[in-house]
Amino acid sequence: MLLTVCPYCGTGCQMNVEFMDGHVTVHGYNKSPVNHGKLCIKGYQGLSYSSSSKRITHPMVRKDGKFVEVSWDKALDYVASRLNQIKKSYGPDAVAFQSSAKCTNEENYLMQKIARLFGTNNVDHCARSCHSSTVAGLIRTLGTAAATGSIESLKDSGTYFVIGSNTTEQHPIIGTTIINETRRGKHLIVADPRRTKMALNAEIFMQFMPGSDVALLNSMMNVILKEKLHDTEFIKSRTENFDEFAKEIEKYDPAVTESITGVSPDLVVKAARLYASEKPSAILYGMGITQHVHGTENVMSVSNLALLTGNLGKRGSGIFPLRGQNNVQGSSDMGSLAEFYPGYAAVGSDISKFEELWQTKLPNKVGLMLSEMFDAAVSGTLKAIYVMGENPVITEANISEVEKGIRNLELFVVQDIFMTETAAMADVVLPAATALEKEGTFTNTERRVQRIVPVKEPPGEARQDWWILSELSRKLLGSKGYDSPQEIFEEIRKAIPNYSGISYDEIYPLGKQWPVNKSSPNGTEILHVEKFTRGPGRFVPVQYKPPSGVASNDYPFILTTGRNYFHWHSGTMTRRSDILERESPSPYVEISREDAKKLNIRNGQVIGVESSIGKVSLPARTTDAIPEGIVFIPFHFKEARVNALVGDNLDPYSKIPEFKVVAVKVIP
Amino acid sequence: MIFVLNESEMETLFQRIHKDYETFGSVEESGEIVFDRIDSFSEISDEKSSYAPKDFLITRSANILEVPKPEKKAVFGIKSCDLRGFQIMDLQILGKDLSYTTRRENTMFVNSVCTEMCHGGFCTAFGGPVLDKYDIQVMRSGDEYYVQASEKFRGYFRDFRPSDDDPFTGYNDQFSQRHGKIEADGIENRIKWSSSLWTEYAKRCISCGACNYSCPTCYCVDIYDDEDGRKQEWDSCILEGFTRTSAGNIRPDLSDRLRQRFFHKYKYYKLSRDEYLCTGCNRCVDDCPVDIDIKEVITHDYTVE
Repeated sequence: MLLTVCPYCGTGCQMNVEFMDGHVTVHGYNKSPVNHGKLCIKGYQGLSYSSSSKRITHPMVRKDGKFVEVSWDKALDYVASRLNQIKKSYGPDAVAFQSSAKCTNEENYLMQKIARLFGTNNVDHCARSCHSSTVAGLIRTLGTAAATGSIESLKDSGTYFVIGSNTTEQHPIIGTTIINETRRGKHLIVADPRRTKMALNAEIFMQFMPGSDVALLNSMMNVILKEKLHDTEFIKSRTENFDEFAKEIEKYDPAVTESITGVSPDLVVKAARLYASEKPSAILYGMGITQHVHGTENVMSVSNLALLTGNLGKRGSGIFPLRGQNNVQGSSDMGSLAEFYPGYAAVGSDISKFEELWQTKLPNKVGLMLSEMFDAAVSGTLKAIYVMGENPVITEANISEVEKGIRNLELFVVQDIFMTETAAMADVVLPAATALEKEGTFTNTERRVQRIVPVKEPPGEARQDWWILSELSRKLLGSKGYDSPQEIFEEIRKAIPNYSGISYDEIYPLGKQWPVNKSSPNGTEILHVEKFTRGPGRFVPVQYKPPSGVASNDYPFILTTGRNYFHWHSGTMTRRSDILERESPSPYVEISREDAKKLNIRNGQVIGVESSIGKVSLPARTTDAIPEGIVFIPFHFKEARVNALVGDNLDPYSKIPEFKVVAVKVIP
Repeated sequence: MIFVLNESEMETLFQRIHKDYETFGSVEESGEIVFDRIDSFSEISDEKSSYAPKDFLITRSANILEVPKPEKKAVFGIKSCDLRGFQIMDLQILGKDLSYTTRRENTMFVNSVCTEMCHGGFCTAFGGPVLDKYDIQVMRSGDEYYVQASEKFRGYFRDFRPSDDDPFTGYNDQFSQRHGKIEADGIENRIKWSSSLWTEYAKRCISCGACNYSCPTCYCVDIYDDEDGRKQEWDSCILEGFTRTSAGNIRPDLSDRLRQRFFHKYKYYKLSRDEYLCTGCNRCVDDCPVDIDIKEVITHDYTVE
């Protein structure tokens, strides 16, 4: 038995795992402060991918259209020389690197360092598609882009406000923490277009229209201000820009916003009173807040609500952006983002600290973001992309452009554990190790830096990503490379103040929550206690603007996309688990029973769903959980890639695509 | 026959068994009690293991086209509730499931009798910590160990002291008196199809499968084919796919599936095998993320609904 961390969601459940004769045994770790021995179905049943015989086991280079197995030396020599050629011909910004929130902190740190030493800030990863708007929003209002409290501290909340998060399916162990507390008398408010299990357990459920978040949140704040339920002392001593914000809020009487949100004023009033009175109150949100053209504004609205009621800096209160990937907090912390150096040091600001640390001149112009890289490949300005552990051919918005972009590249390198749909298009494929075959650290959604340990050997020639990147840095940049994840971690401590006090040996197995530094050597459970990271908490007046996806005569339905309980993203891992695949074997579109009846659609019937840019055909799943006028499609299935329907509309602050609101028509 | 052994004699006993068997035991690792290979009796923890050692006989996943190799294993430190799980399972799958049967016949269990009730445990509802059937059964009393062995393993006890006392007889009654007992008898007649318990549980259950995976009596597996062969995998009756058929699902709602689990445990198995499919170990309660307590299914007053 070896104690490690679940490779799926950002909860970061600790578990004991044993591999014997190719078979895995798993148990939740009872002493864990994160999951107290509990796991969800993905933890229990989702680890078999690691021993699949379909793993890629040798480096491969495409020759005359076919993959040929080569040695590591040859593969990496080839990659390095091609990248250097491209740099020579077109400059470093003709190359982009895509890192991965499935990889460790050490690997993400290395990936962004390689990009920057190579001379470009074109390094980004899937945080762009999930919580880049959280980063952009919370840095502006609070100064730190992370959950303000711990999972454990949620047990001290009086009220939970869950908006845009299907918590029991996407962060199951956090969802159940809340459900257990509601049975002990705590209050739960849920706002979601779909009637989730959280909604079934809620005291107040506001089933609102996708994309109307700002209107809904502003109307709650309108009630709070009108009824004088705001925390005047907190506002005075801890915040700034209140007056300008309050002026904007005046416009959002719940009676006015009802036509936008679809929520009756009565419910909004109740929710506002509960949230503002039964304190401490915690807000938890997921992709329902972030994946919009106004994602950053949604996040700032959430922040306004917490600031208005003094629900920050105290145990049980706070804002919890529920991070999707196991290490998306960490990969963002590491600076695998086009606009941030490690520790969220903004590109364009003074980066001399990194120039000293890495002993070289560094690029200081914001790079291409994930959502822009494939467009740049289509237009021809980008010539090479190096992808580590992502499958954009399934997961990116507007995938036909993604494919077009890839075909237009001079060099496309993919480092992954399986021959994914993306890897199949590559010029070079590098076999990587899974999270169960690796050493390093992950940072979970509550900022807990946890160590993982290898519980099995990678198959064949597959190697840990840090090793591959370290070798590449030797060949590409003439660097001296690294001998272990710990050696990289020691450098991370120098680069990121919040990690500076973490001892690699001491954090196993329980982990520590950053900031860990001289003044808080044991870590920090609650952020912003005395003051906000940026000083005063900033109110930002946010005006409601409609989403770009608006129902019309031609496209009368609103499509919202997401995940289900049993699968993970493009299914590379979960679709190889017998039980998980049995539970959710094929694509589907959820449609309300009323709409299905009107359109003569039977449960299980294959229907077409078409947006202005693409179409998929898939079986209908009729349900009461979704209101009329809305359809939902999970993005796991290569058989019906819903991202063919999602357009290029981006949030202007964070460049996150609008995965949650797409106007579509339904063709029976 | 009952023997009384001191610590060093227990070590001698262990070493004799160790010669013939690959030895495993419940040991502490990172604050958890897990099963691992051991070379000495002194490594064994007195605490109840963090999980039932079900995977000694039914591995979480397996290639079932491979004929199981008989491997002689001895497992020390297993608590009586977990051993009883196998004995109840035997009624259904012994002699039918080839790999279970091979492993069962080649694995010896040295079960230890609890002297205190574990947190939440309710084994007294189903007898108690002393079992009638065992390979070797151990009860610790201070520095001494009272040990019973079945005929097959008596040979390991040559030259050990027979005990004049019999602490095993009557122990379960005393244990029940000391720690209380919930009344399970007759639950097969009381449990109610239309009870509101099932919908209440369904409202919060997240279908994680923990109740099945943690249970020392749940034996259901899924059989499937993949590129490497024919496989089996631990299954869970809480999952929708468990009873999905081409003609629809016979238990479409989560409440149907939760009810099925309890009806199987407390009614169907009792009717078909004359045993409750439960040992009172409380593991399903310990591992449930939403605090569903199977004891409530037994104690609930179904007459007032």
